[in-house]
Amino acid sequence: MIHFLFEGKSLQATEGQSLAAALLANQERITRYTRGKSKPRGIFCGIGVCFDCLLIVDGVSNQRSCLVEVKDGMQVRIQDGA
Amino acid sequence: MELRHQVIVVGAGPAGLNAAKYAANAGCDVALIDAGKKLGGQYWRHTGAQDFDQSLHHDFDSGSLLMDAVQANPRIIIYSDTSIWSASIINDEIVLRSKSVAFITQRLILATGAYDRAIPFPGWDIPGVMTAGAAQSLLKGSGVIAGKKIVVAGSGPFLLPVSAALSSHGADSVELFEASSATAWLRQLHILLQNPSKIVEGLSYFKTLQSHKVKMKYRSAVVAAHADESGLLKSVTVAKIDSDFKVLSVREIECDVAAISYGFTPDIALATSLGLKAKVASDGSTVISVDGDQRATYTNEKYQIFCAGELTGVGGSDLALVEGAIAGLSAANSSQNKRTLVKLRKRLTRFAKALLMVYPVQTGWKEWLKHDTTICRCEEVDYQEFLYAGQVLGASDARTMKLMTRCGMGMCQGRICSRNIFDLLGSSDDDRIRGGQRPIITPITLGELAQEGLL
Repeated sequence: MIHFLFEGKSLQATEGQSLAAALLANQERITRYTRGKSKPRGIFCGIGVCFDCLLIVDGVSNQRSCLVEVKDGMQVRIQDGA
Repeated sequence: MELRHQVIVVGAGPAGLNAAKYAANAGCDVALIDAGKKLGGQYWRHTGAQDFDQSLHHDFDSGSLLMDAVQANPRIIIYSDTSIWSASIINDEIVLRSKSVAFITQRLILATGAYDRAIPFPGWDIPGVMTAGAAQSLLKGSGVIAGKKIVVAGSGPFLLPVSAALSSHGADSVELFEASSATAWLRQLHILLQNPSKIVEGLSYFKTLQSHKVKMKYRSAVVAAHADESGLLKSVTVAKIDSDFKVLSVREIECDVAAISYGFTPDIALATSLGLKAKVASDGSTVISVDGDQRATYTNEKYQIFCAGELTGVGGSDLALVEGAIAGLSAANSSQNKRTLVKLRKRLTRFAKALLMVYPVQTGWKEWLKHDTTICRCEEVDYQEFLYAGQVLGASDARTMKLMTRCGMGMCQGRICSRNIFDLLGSSDDDRIRGGQRPIITPITLGELAQEGLL
């Protein structure tokens, strides 16, 4: 088991999981809010095609959570306005 | 940095793996490039862990044999976790750029696969609504069940293994709604009977669905999704539909995940950026034209480009494997066993065409849309803006529509919405082919371009 921070909360994950999967396993479904209408979005295509599950990983924005592998100590934030 | 190889294969799913294997066994030095961290593509996606649950796959044994063979082959160098963002012909050589390396070759095999086709409906952008492929990839790649109460919907044979996997791996309940009719297969029965292994595979899914009490309804579709006060999916509207996908009656079903897909869209971005000739297939998808050797048309003696698998037309993993083998042999100028492979390809192509006829996506879905339904997810273009641009501003082709509304101009570069926009506009084949051309294949930052000295 590894731990990562999501919006300041410490969440558990299994090594090798995608960030999108680790978030879903913790009942966290929102990864970003849209820049036009501030609507919540989450994982949609799951394979890096749709760019809907973007979030901020260790300070770097526009990361596709379905492609990023979760790491111990990773700091993850919802992206507001992608 | 520049790297040269005799043969370069892009995509490490069934087609690309087999292409690399056959080209290497025929004596070529091969590079196999894939955006993923592990071999297998979407089809053989796996966690890589020792205790990986193989029951998630229909035929993981043959997949792991092939992956092991490719990994052990000294003639194949694997570049995983490597995305190609541009492809061009420079001085009669094919140049593929990733973030740190320019790969150069005179013989290229593209096996870039496909992704789920999503059709818009009110609420399809609510978190909790995802493609069937997304639910499958969460389970196969990370061992995570997307939700507790899951509705699977759309059309196509892929919905069966997805529902079977979700129901047998811990979802509290799974309901499956297939838009096609239960008896559509009867019209293609002679072709089904020529492929008995497919009947066996299909029956195994039905058996799993039955033992996990999965309710399955035909001629039904999810036509709207609804969010709770925190913006998350709480229910979907399921409709009985007619053969044109028009709504006959509706009911609401509570769920926390709706996994919905209507077949697949081939990923032809790399192929079209190289100028390869495309055509529109019977299902309306744009695919790459190839000859009997899997060779794409726009090639000469100096450089040759081959395509295998879904980007030449959606046909499933068995056909992709055969096309990959033929492409690998063609790239290596070998004709060993080619006749047997060509015969097999013919039978599997017939089966693939029959499948597309059993699961047609009809245009009645346009009537599911409301004025505020999102059409382009990236740029948040709704149906009302789309209709205004079409009816008042006179945008009748996809390009004009894009310039006026921004639909298809966002981060996904039209991968999700463009096929739907073509259907809404009733676009010509030429318009569909032109609309698929993108000079940049995957988004890259200006900083990364500057680092490469390309600015």
